[in-house]
Amino acid sequence: MAEQDITQETSRVYSLNLGPQHPSTHGVLRILLDLDGEYIVKADPVIGYGHRGHEKMGENRPYKQFLPNSSRMDYLSGMIFNHGFVLAVEKLVGIEVPERAKYIRVIASELNRISSHLLWFGTYVMDLGGFTPFLYAFDDREQILDILDSVSGSRLTYSYCRFGGVCRDVDSRFIDMTRAFLKRMETRWADYDNLVTKNIIFIHRTRDVGIIDRELCRQYGVTGPNLRACGVSFDVRRSEPYEVYDRLDFEVPTGSKGDALDRYDVRFKEMQQSCRIIDQALDQLPGGAFVAEKVPQKLKPPKGDVYTAFESARGLSAYYMVSDGSPGPYRCHIRVPSFGNLNALNDVLPGTMVADAISILGSIDVVIPEIDR
Amino acid sequence: MKLKEIEKVLVEKFPDAPLSRDETGMSGAQWSIAVALSGIREAAKAFDKAGFFLESITALDFEDTFELVYHFNYYEPKSRVVVRMLCGHDEVPQSICDIYRGAVWLEREVHEFFGIKFSGNADMRMLLLPEDADYHPLRKNFGKVSAYHKREVIYG
Repeated sequence: MAEQDITQETSRVYSLNLGPQHPSTHGVLRILLDLDGEYIVKADPVIGYGHRGHEKMGENRPYKQFLPNSSRMDYLSGMIFNHGFVLAVEKLVGIEVPERAKYIRVIASELNRISSHLLWFGTYVMDLGGFTPFLYAFDDREQILDILDSVSGSRLTYSYCRFGGVCRDVDSRFIDMTRAFLKRMETRWADYDNLVTKNIIFIHRTRDVGIIDRELCRQYGVTGPNLRACGVSFDVRRSEPYEVYDRLDFEVPTGSKGDALDRYDVRFKEMQQSCRIIDQALDQLPGGAFVAEKVPQKLKPPKGDVYTAFESARGLSAYYMVSDGSPGPYRCHIRVPSFGNLNALNDVLPGTMVADAISILGSIDVVIPEIDR
Repeated sequence: MKLKEIEKVLVEKFPDAPLSRDETGMSGAQWSIAVALSGIREAAKAFDKAGFFLESITALDFEDTFELVYHFNYYEPKSRVVVRMLCGHDEVPQSICDIYRGAVWLEREVHEFFGIKFSGNADMRMLLLPEDADYHPLRKNFGKVSAYHKREVIYG
């Protein structure tokens, strides 16, 4: 009779740690899963392993000294976060940026967006068991890193933007390399399509998996490609155009259902749109200065709030700073998109299987250090 | 359109609350409304009904008070609205996590960084800090800070 004491009911649900070190978590993320067999009953993401206190660092140093931190928030779209930070400070202090610098920043940001999406593309397909596309994607990504390296001197944490412009002008070599990259990508999209998009195993692992619908997105503040995958055409580059995005012609791709396949599709099309943006920006690139002439060494901002939103590779990001008139902010808050995107997993994962959890986690494209800050 | 709709609702609900429009575009929001600490649930319900999403929750630490800052946004151009509340250093604001599910984490973050407890949020564990942390790093009496002001110094 002793065996009967261990009833099925009590031993049914058990806990499993996914991470903190797991190839599919891309960073140090731990998800505490309560499982019933292969099915997830409850998911509790545990984050904070990469907390560095960027917000505190922002508060106790001048704006200029915080500049390198900005690319280290989301290390895969460092250029975009760097761009957003200088936008915020320029708005606060009132610095006019030369036209050429605006175009250069947009080109650099869009290149960065493609490189971020390419990394996601490669690793996501690898999470699902396909190794070859990863090599193709990293080959292409390497071209972008070389291009950005040639102007900024680094491959990930660029710190390329300065208050009033950028730190180095782009030369004809940069333009030639970028043009060559765009030309190269024209034929690559078809390769990727053949390798992945039409692959039956890939489709089975992503279609109808991890549906995040419009209401769930709204509840959790999900933005970026994950939001657009469920049919909401919301992009900061469109809704609050900064720099020269309002002069460039591009589409905001959307999906319909909001499953992993839609999220894949949206990112895939976004890379093509980014290529379109870069192509137009290169055509329109004006001459002139690449950095504003009169930027004071010591910034003297007015008192008050400044809030600047921008679209990073993962969604709506923003710098919220409160100035007390001193050379550094009194409060520096960073709104990061992955925070809301990962938060939604609390509701998305229950009811799915462990293998699907890997697919879903990959498809929402989180960067953990960005959340941890 | 949504912006007009929510403005009407909020002005009806909070007839005494000062509503300030931002002409300069500096604050990124169309307008901000300062409500009493007890008014956040009413305000959040109105935003929820109008279909807004919660963009961020954060706090500011002043010598005399905390200030909670809520950013709401809608999927249309320029629809960001700010709701601000003063919250004394020993006051307990109400949670809105049953209205916006995403608020659970946002409130946990404000709690660990500032030590502001939200009543009604059952999950007040540390989010980014170690689980046994007994300090609140974004308080101005923690670590190296460049200034600790009264609220009037910045907002007049």
